[in-house]
Amino acid sequence: MTLLSINNVQMKFGGLTAVNQVSFSVNAGEIVAVIGPNGAGKTTLFNTITGVYTPTMGNILIKDHPLEKPLSLPAIVSFLISGIAAAIFLYIAFNIETLWAAVFTDHYIYQQPFPWAQIPLFVLEHFKALSWWSAQGKLIIGATVGTAIAATLWQGTRRTPELVLTQGLARTFQNIRTFPTLSVRENILVGMHSKLSASVLGDALQLPQTMKERIIAEQEADNILSMVGLLDSASLPASKLSYGHQRRLEIGRALASKPSLILLDEPAAGMNPSEASDLMLLIRKIRDHKIAVLLIEHHMNVVMGISDRIVVLDYGQKIAEGTPSEIRKNPEVIQAYLGGEEVLS
Amino acid sequence: MLDSPAKPLSQKKIAFSLLLVICLLPLSDYLLPAELQFAELMRPIFIFAILGLGLNVMTGLTGMLNLGIAAFMAIGAYTYAIFTCDIYPFQVGFWWGILFAALLAAAAGTLLGIPTTRLRGDYLAIVTLGFGEIVQDILRNLESITKGTQGINPLPGPILFGFSFNQQSYLPWYYLLLTILLIVVALNYNLIHARTGRAWRAVREDELAARCMGISSGHARLLAFAFGSGIAGLAGGLWAGFLGSSGEPGNYDFQISIITLCLLIVGGMGSILGVLIGALIMIGFNSIILVKISQFMNSAGLVSTTNVFTQPNNWKYMIFGMALILMMRYRPQGVCPEQVREDKSAPPATKAVKPV
Repeated sequence: MTLLSINNVQMKFGGLTAVNQVSFSVNAGEIVAVIGPNGAGKTTLFNTITGVYTPTMGNILIKDHPLEKPLSLPAIVSFLISGIAAAIFLYIAFNIETLWAAVFTDHYIYQQPFPWAQIPLFVLEHFKALSWWSAQGKLIIGATVGTAIAATLWQGTRRTPELVLTQGLARTFQNIRTFPTLSVRENILVGMHSKLSASVLGDALQLPQTMKERIIAEQEADNILSMVGLLDSASLPASKLSYGHQRRLEIGRALASKPSLILLDEPAAGMNPSEASDLMLLIRKIRDHKIAVLLIEHHMNVVMGISDRIVVLDYGQKIAEGTPSEIRKNPEVIQAYLGGEEVLS
Repeated sequence: MLDSPAKPLSQKKIAFSLLLVICLLPLSDYLLPAELQFAELMRPIFIFAILGLGLNVMTGLTGMLNLGIAAFMAIGAYTYAIFTCDIYPFQVGFWWGILFAALLAAAAGTLLGIPTTRLRGDYLAIVTLGFGEIVQDILRNLESITKGTQGINPLPGPILFGFSFNQQSYLPWYYLLLTILLIVVALNYNLIHARTGRAWRAVREDELAARCMGISSGHARLLAFAFGSGIAGLAGGLWAGFLGSSGEPGNYDFQISIITLCLLIVGGMGSILGVLIGALIMIGFNSIILVKISQFMNSAGLVSTTNVFTQPNNWKYMIFGMALILMMRYRPQGVCPEQVREDKSAPPATKAVKPV
């Protein structure tokens, strides 16, 4: 089954094409590595896949679905609601003094009961007495502007990292981005954020259902921590962990969102050989949990040791794809890494 | 930030001893001579602690610098005033009044938050600073509703089980404000260590990483903004109820915002106990120590009308400024900094899976 397919993706920053017409796919349960010299566009490709950037061309499908929020009925309803709200807000804001006088001041006699039921009538009378410009005009402007703003904002958030995560893609970062002042366990729980349903009210009042969910979540977090080997430091702040352990914590945090594909951006960077071989074990273990892995890596023994397939990028273009043994022999790859023979003139 | 060397006392112990002392403080009136009694002057501290907790949600937990918290306090105070004063038809009473004050301030926070929570750092600070000034001007100029610079008064106090709060004794207000403060503390504490608060702190630490972990940073920031302004509005409502008047719009000026921010910095950003201790230090200094020094100097005839420097009230900002500089130099994380919570609600899971 194709989990992720990338079709002719192009990412331009002004005049610079960082990723150019790259296509490949990742199947379920596979470990795919993306390699290439520095500046080949690997991290840009990751950022494009995870919704940090929107590709200038091409599309990315997860389980054959485009990575974009569809224009659904609730979205349209929310535009209309924000339009109505903006209209009412503009109307009240511009007419507040006369409206207040017409509804309250004119009808309230000191310490006498107030005719609450007639408020709609007072509002209507006030509305009729206004000029077209300050009544209907404000409502129309408010509705138009409110709907337009809501629609624009929505358009801007059609493809966001948080949406990509809910589609089952979780990632780690090249430069470690754990949450330093949160405890190790809390870091994992942040990864579970999208799987938990506690509301503000439930959290604030500690409703029984929230507490039940929290206990289950914390147990699950401990399971993940023991999988990445960090259970002993669960209550330490993440900043206290060593470099290699922070990398593991990032992987654990990504796993906590129960992804079907995990993207690892140079997980072995800065690790010594024994840490790197531990990491290889961990990555295999992730695959055994039926999670596909897409990784960027420079440690060639890690890449060659665990990947099922390798994609090679150079100057933003895909120059080769194949099994580790194919890639090792590929003349173009060798040229990209070591340089070709130059003819001296 | 978190590496404070071996602590002699846990924050929990400090918090409970502090609570005990505060609860028993009115007894000190029997021990001290009349001119040194100060328990009565504690009440502004409670209100500012609530205000500080509101700001803490935005600035301390979510990392959005807000320089206009006084605006939300003003909205709360005027909402309470309009909903309870008998020159308006509503007259809903104290309890509904403070509830509406919190809700309306939260609504105002949401309205301001929708366009501005996308802004980062200094830009948001400037927007909120401007909002603080705009709200004052609106309240001043909307005379038909807010009575302009006169303020709205008199406002009723609370009625609890048929017992009406009078101004004869300060004790009912003392314990009422303390109780409300404790409720706000409990709500905050629950939120901070739950999904919502975790999302806020994650957004503060690293917004991109938080978004890649499925936290919608826009929603989290907006929620923090609304919740924080709601608490600030509650503080405003209590302030108006406590004074029996909304005061004039100029009372809710930039100084209030800055003092609130100062107490956060002195106490420790992001830490509830820090906010409480910060309020105790800063507002305690402002409304107890300075007042007592003034009274003493007045009775001793040390105050001259020609030299403003002889009036302790004029030293205030110099001392605040100095306190901030010293804090930044020697203890930038605050008196009582944010700590990682060590306990958890679930029993430890069995180590069934062998670590790699």
